[in-house]
Amino acid sequence: MRVLKTFCGLLFLVLFVGIFGDNVTAQNLKEFEKKVTEFTLDNGLHFIIIERREAPVASFYTHVNVGGVDEPVGNTGIAHIFEHMAFKGTKYIGTNNWEEEKKVIDQMDEAYKAWLHEKFSSNPDEEALAQKRAKFEELQEQAKTFVVNNEFSEIIQNNGGTGLNASTGADLTNYFYSLPSNKAELWFNLEADRFKNPTYREFYVEKEVVREERRMRTESSPIGRLVEEFIAVAYTAHPYGRPVVGWNSDITATTIEDARAFYDKYYVPSNITFAIAGDVDPKRMKKLAEEYFSDFRGKGKIAPPVTTVEPKQRGERRFTIEGNSQPIMLIGYHGVSDSHEDFEALNLLGNIISSGRTSVLYKKLVEEEKLALQVGAFNGFPGTRFGSLFLTLAVPNQGVELDSLEQRIYDEIEVVKGGSITQKELDRARTNIRAGIIRGLANNTGLALNFASTYMTKGDWRDVFKQLDRYNEVTLDDLQRVAQQYLIKQTRTVGATVKADS
Amino acid sequence: MKRTILFSMLTLFAISAAAQKRYDEIKYPKLNEFKKADVEEFKLDNGITFFLVEDKELPLIRISATVRAGSLQDPDDKIGLASMTGGLMREGGSENYPADELNVLLEDKAAFMSTFIGQGSGGASMNILKEDFDELLPVFVDLVQNPLFPEDKIELSKTQRKSGISRRNDQQAGIANREFRKLIYGEDSPITRQIEYATLDAITRNDLVAFHKETFVGNNMTLGVIGDFDTKKMKKKLEEAFGSFPAGTANNLIYPEINYSYPSTVNFINKSDVNQSYVLVGHIGGLRENPDYAKLQMMNQILGGGFAGRLFQTVRTDLGLAYAVGGGYSSSINYPGTFSLFVMTKSSTTAEAIDALIREVEKMQESPVAQEELEDARDRFLNSLVFRYDSKQKILNERISNEYNGLSKDAFNKYVEDLKKVTISDIQQVAKEYLKPGKVQILVVGNAEEVGDQLQKYGTVNEIDITIPTPKSDKPSASGDAAKGKEWLGKMAKAIIAPGTTFSTIKSVGNLTRVTPMGNVDIKITSTISYANYTLDAKMETPQGNMEMMVSNGSGKMIMMGREQQLPPAMVTPMINEMKNSYINIALNADDHNPEYLGMETVDGKEYVALKVDGTSEIVFYLDPATALPAVTKMNVFAPQMGKEVEVVTSYSNWEVTNGVAYAFAYETKNDGQVIEKSKVESIEAN
Repeated sequence: MRVLKTFCGLLFLVLFVGIFGDNVTAQNLKEFEKKVTEFTLDNGLHFIIIERREAPVASFYTHVNVGGVDEPVGNTGIAHIFEHMAFKGTKYIGTNNWEEEKKVIDQMDEAYKAWLHEKFSSNPDEEALAQKRAKFEELQEQAKTFVVNNEFSEIIQNNGGTGLNASTGADLTNYFYSLPSNKAELWFNLEADRFKNPTYREFYVEKEVVREERRMRTESSPIGRLVEEFIAVAYTAHPYGRPVVGWNSDITATTIEDARAFYDKYYVPSNITFAIAGDVDPKRMKKLAEEYFSDFRGKGKIAPPVTTVEPKQRGERRFTIEGNSQPIMLIGYHGVSDSHEDFEALNLLGNIISSGRTSVLYKKLVEEEKLALQVGAFNGFPGTRFGSLFLTLAVPNQGVELDSLEQRIYDEIEVVKGGSITQKELDRARTNIRAGIIRGLANNTGLALNFASTYMTKGDWRDVFKQLDRYNEVTLDDLQRVAQQYLIKQTRTVGATVKADS
Repeated sequence: MKRTILFSMLTLFAISAAAQKRYDEIKYPKLNEFKKADVEEFKLDNGITFFLVEDKELPLIRISATVRAGSLQDPDDKIGLASMTGGLMREGGSENYPADELNVLLEDKAAFMSTFIGQGSGGASMNILKEDFDELLPVFVDLVQNPLFPEDKIELSKTQRKSGISRRNDQQAGIANREFRKLIYGEDSPITRQIEYATLDAITRNDLVAFHKETFVGNNMTLGVIGDFDTKKMKKKLEEAFGSFPAGTANNLIYPEINYSYPSTVNFINKSDVNQSYVLVGHIGGLRENPDYAKLQMMNQILGGGFAGRLFQTVRTDLGLAYAVGGGYSSSINYPGTFSLFVMTKSSTTAEAIDALIREVEKMQESPVAQEELEDARDRFLNSLVFRYDSKQKILNERISNEYNGLSKDAFNKYVEDLKKVTISDIQQVAKEYLKPGKVQILVVGNAEEVGDQLQKYGTVNEIDITIPTPKSDKPSASGDAAKGKEWLGKMAKAIIAPGTTFSTIKSVGNLTRVTPMGNVDIKITSTISYANYTLDAKMETPQGNMEMMVSNGSGKMIMMGREQQLPPAMVTPMINEMKNSYINIALNADDHNPEYLGMETVDGKEYVALKVDGTSEIVFYLDPATALPAVTKMNVFAPQMGKEVEVVTSYSNWEVTNGVAYAFAYETKNDGQVIEKSKVESIEAN
């Protein structure tokens, strides 16, 4: 029920790239080989079951390879709106009469479209507009009479479900919760039902909820406003430049018909991976998967790919936005997608220069020169499926001018380009990346999430461990080379918040 | 024909839907039995209590120490002491492992150590690979026992905390939650006080050393150890490592008495750059130690319990008024919690959302909840109990937390038994007894222009001033001769106001030039100032049109193009201060000041009498020794936009006497050497 927090996304990425000693990872992979069962149904739906018998509970995770980046022009935010709709019930959950309700929902959508066409016509007639709006609102009220409020979520919670939520990011949408493990069948039942039979119940009221979410995360938040503006400036053509929560007018323009079309295209078996981690029997899970999911539609369908490629940037882009808060700055360089051979080197570079108290940006700018309250560099923003940004966040200390902090960051980047990173620093970053992986495997939710998303993006859950081989191949020369190649002024975007009155 | 096809399609749908069984037809197997982890407990002579749990899943070991210490203990003039002590133990490193060395050592091993002190508890923790345990345990003990508190790290910590202060009004949620607590518990309570620039400046290294020494002692400490180890061997290692830790004396944290009188208030904080109101509504809450605790918790479940709570259902799902809504009656261990409901809604529906919140509370009192609603809430709780103990870490944490808070080992079991017994009438009874929807305090942090007058129907709206108190000047303050100071201020007063002159207002007409990065802006100003009560009425002709600014009774407004707008305290306070610090006002009230003569000083090549005067901040007047009229004034003012102190220098010239009052008909003001304002006065009237 939320837009993936961009920075959480980044942190997660940094966390889940790692291990302690190489041998530890190899051991872990071997152990997990024993605990993991995978199967693919005839229609293409893939399941990963991870046995973990610590306690009689299990976590369930659905990863859909669709995010803001896949949305059609004019419907930004639709992936997120659909995610909200997935909590509205099915043909018998959340309703007192689906047959009748469906008729009213369809009429309501027609009425909304009529209003929408009038509103955005070249010369809207005020009276007709009001009439059409009234008609729509009347049907919306009528539709409400069939609704059993939040029944779907309540069934889960009444059965002991916890951590019920979902999130939408630029690259993906995920749905997750945990249940006492004897209730695993409930998840199969409800998950199959909601994704086989979406109802678009309360669609237009929920869009207002989404709009409040937009106000909260973006419009009323200094960092939210800056990030939205930042990606819009950094990307000219590629949909990474659009807000996942959607532009306000696009939220208005999106109809149930649009949401249906979106669902038909993207919620197909080849685009979905399920993972279950906990005290469960893989054989039984397979049986339940077949029972509930074998009639899932869309066998052999492939979701449309994103075909827009970001054109080469022709020079530095700079902007400021005004607000009533203390300054924050973002500096982003166009980089690569996670399938590119330089991805790991850029990840390591971000890690080495800004992660931890020994990193050069922390040591110099935070500790010694006291210019920054916080400074961090991350690779892979706002997503990693496509060409992403290498992003630096700089929060100046009180009384420090943004441009002096900015200049010092560039100075340090130049030093790195000159080859200042040592083998010791590289080894340290690798160790911390490894440790991050191990620590992320200590709970059911983390396991299910890591394994499903890694399968979806890399085609094999084992890449959780195997990615370390790629990190091990990165050399000091590579680090210097990627710094020189990517961290250049020409592909840079710099944005900051400034006080409205300064 | 078409109809038939549609019909048969519907039937098909119905069949495929029927192919899946309903969720309520599922037969669940029994939940697998599981054994809760054993917790091994032992105590050392120096008072440290240990709790050990073996967890062999991953090759890790975690230690966390809980220490009875907190910001409750901060002296009033050194707020931030506890928090700084907690942070600096790790930031500054220890005697044997200074910060730089420690950081490299830990990061090379991907090991974490951290220390903190919060409001009512403090602690230290480490999370490491088991193979590093023997090497890192002594490091951890040294960090907890012998922190170094080096001066450079103290400076760094202060700089960072000051930046934090300057940013504390940036996020709506932060402002709302902080100010609401002040409304409930009072402004100066040890549980609502804030770190300020001045209280940070007052903290010294000796304070930190002393605070640590007093609190991080055996009798205040509980240690939880969990991970891949053998309990017997671990006990021995811990005994050796912590055996020589000083015992000290047990700390007794004192919580303030809370006297709450259930006032009904309406409070507003303006944040011009938001389009959503952050609303909090409520009053005082209760204590954990209460026979009605379980009933209240069950009431909370029904009112605000996540997706299923009534607030979520009504305010979010039905009305579409919010994404974030919730709240409940909280029962705390050491002092009464709060009863608070929150919602974030667009500016235009602020009152609608407040009404909806209050209505839900009233409904809880007016009518009994449905049996099904109660059973659902109970199911949610009982069926998810297994998650309370689904990791060994959680079991250990609960044990330590019960120990720390003085709750019995079976406090939770007792609570579960009580929950099973709660009835419909219990819910209504506690709702009636504990909730007072007619006596709530309302706080809205939002956009004043967009919210408009929506709040007025709830009562007089109190605008809360959240201006951050400016830091004390970081320039050293000179001290001088008090007797000579009095003498010179007296001369200055006489020079400015001829003896026997009486007046209550000064009206001036003149031209002001503001120097901005975009060029000069010329403004014609007619202002009338009354120094008796610091009121101001200024009519301005600006390139953007005419405007009028008025200050009286401590608040201000602006009228522009026929629109009246309230001025925020952050703008009004500096205007009042300017009136108070003007040479006329100082001259009028010369007897109330304690000036100091700093000697003769040269400014721009001329010798002046330097006179320090205690205005709203320290001002140095440079008087012409012949006339005793000020030629220059200097003061340091904190500029919030720049986040730093600037030196404001004003030079006065063209003195003329009108109706017995000397007035500088020209002046120029510089901020940090940059001219920002020039003024020429055309006429003066003193009445």
